[in-house]
Amino acid sequence: MTKRITHHTILGLVEDDKVPFNWNGQTLYGSSRDSLTSALLANDVRILRRHEKDGKPRGLYCNIGHCSECRVTVDGRRNQRACMTPLEENMTVESQDMLPYLTEGGKRDV
Amino acid sequence: MFDTIIIGSGPAGLSAAGILKDGQNVLIIDEYYHPGGRLLGQLYEEEKDVWWNGQEIADSLFGDVKEAVAFRPSTSVINIEKDAHFTIHTTRGTFESYNVIVATGAREKSFPLPGWDLPGVMTVGAAQVLTNFQRVAPGDRGVIIGMNPLSLVIALELGYADIEVAKICLPPDNPLNEQSPVDAFETLLALGGLAPSKFIASASRLGAKLPLSHKAAVKLFPKSGVNAMGLPISIREKVTRINGREQVESVTVHEVDSKGRILPKKSRTIPCDFVCISDGLAPLSEICSLLNMKHVYIESLGGYVPLHDNRMRTEIENLYVAGNITGIENAKVAMLQGELAASQIIGDEANSRTTLEKINHERYYAKVKFHPELTRGKEQLESLWLEYMK
Ligand SMILES: Cc1cc2nc3c(=O)[nH]c(=O)nc-3n(C[C@H](O)[C@H](O)[C@H](O)COP(=O)(O)OP(=O)(O)OC[C@H]3O[C@@H](n4cnc5c(N)ncnc54)[C@H](O)[C@@H]3O)c2cc1C
Ligand code: FES
Repeated sequence: MTKRITHHTILGLVEDDKVPFNWNGQTLYGSSRDSLTSALLANDVRILRRHEKDGKPRGLYCNIGHCSECRVTVDGRRNQRACMTPLEENMTVESQDMLPYLTEGGKRDV
Repeated sequence: MFDTIIIGSGPAGLSAAGILKDGQNVLIIDEYYHPGGRLLGQLYEEEKDVWWNGQEIADSLFGDVKEAVAFRPSTSVINIEKDAHFTIHTTRGTFESYNVIVATGAREKSFPLPGWDLPGVMTVGAAQVLTNFQRVAPGDRGVIIGMNPLSLVIALELGYADIEVAKICLPPDNPLNEQSPVDAFETLLALGGLAPSKFIASASRLGAKLPLSHKAAVKLFPKSGVNAMGLPISIREKVTRINGREQVESVTVHEVDSKGRILPKKSRTIPCDFVCISDGLAPLSEICSLLNMKHVYIESLGGYVPLHDNRMRTEIENLYVAGNITGIENAKVAMLQGELAASQIIGDEANSRTTLEKINHERYYAKVKFHPELTRGKEQLESLWLEYMK
């Protein structure tokens, strides 16, 4: 289900999506005006990462680069702000997961 | 070496570039991938059938300068140093200039409440950019928490895109939140006189129907809210938590008494798939802080602003500020402030004077006003400046 607003009463029409990119191994399509947050949301993807410490799901929050909640791995580079990254053809985007225990039997807040 | 580096390509930065472009070697730096700053997404009816379309304005301001100045998008300024000239460190290299205009704009404030970290919770500004710039719906059905000019304007914008707003409510009580039903009611009334859209007219009518004191009026406010201009506003209800397992599924709202105290037994659940939190705007001034510049706290300007005079000069020679970093106002004021800072740089006193007059005029007649005491805040700032520079 796409969340793209193709028809808007005041802003008019926009073209359909056609920029392919890879999200966690799956091919999705976005538009040339998209950031990674909007391209993923257009594909109904809200969960961008799991919190490093408790594994809780996180998504975009401010969408303009201020909060860093939207961190993803882009073409192998970790912790890129998805909302500040413009979608490019064939980009590889991956969600980030909980960090492993650092010490045996240790707590995550070590 | 550039004559001037402008940090921020919002309305202030782009308008400054428009003045400087013919005589100077100018670089504009912005961390976003498209010029325009917070113009991108703005959309409201200024008068009947006259729309303020922020992206169109951004594209035209940028179109005017793009051949004549250097522009570096997707580049964040991370440090700044000053000796004989300025050195600007960014995520994509270091640049030098004789003058700097800091036009970094504003950030949105939020209040925490249980469940606010769930995917699907976002600021109203995030919903604005998604809906009007990127053209992606933040969800099918949303709840907005917080009542201020920005959240109400954006609620209308969601409506233009046929996205349902199920409720606009007050935030819950905690040491950081203090919007009472009376405050919210006053916000609605103030908007009635000032703001641009049709909402205003309905909100004013609402005020007219409730002529008593504001406190008494709040008591009369229907518990389930009113429907003003299609906006389902509740000032007698507060959202107490956001619910969902992996993403937003609903919010829990509690009824409150006229003082804003929660009535524990009176709650209900509103299903929704997104939530917008809005606690107003604050100037974004880290870059001035990096230079250890003096800041002053002025509530009506949105919080801490770098000390500056009404010509955009700061305590650091050749460093100017413009736009929302000087206090929260609309984009038209920001554009004029950019022109003023640029006129100061090229020593155009005549243009500075006329621009200053235009700023005062726009401030007075502004369609979008963020704080009723703004003019007093600006006066306070001016006297603090004079005292500091003595
Ligand atoms: C979320 C949001 C929504 C708003 N909606 C409205 C509205 O609907 N109507 C209205 O009248 N006003 C609105 N405003 C107020 C808005 O701030 C002004 O209208 C106007 O855009 C301010 O212009 P500016 O040039 O000062 O800053 P901005 O338009 O905010 O532009 C600042 C630019 O600086 C860039 N920047 C900041 N820091 C750095 C850095 N370190 N390195 C590189 N670049 C940087 C940003 O990416 C941004 O593009 C909104 C503000 C916000 C924050
Ligand atoms: S959503 Fe806030 S930085 Fe990306």
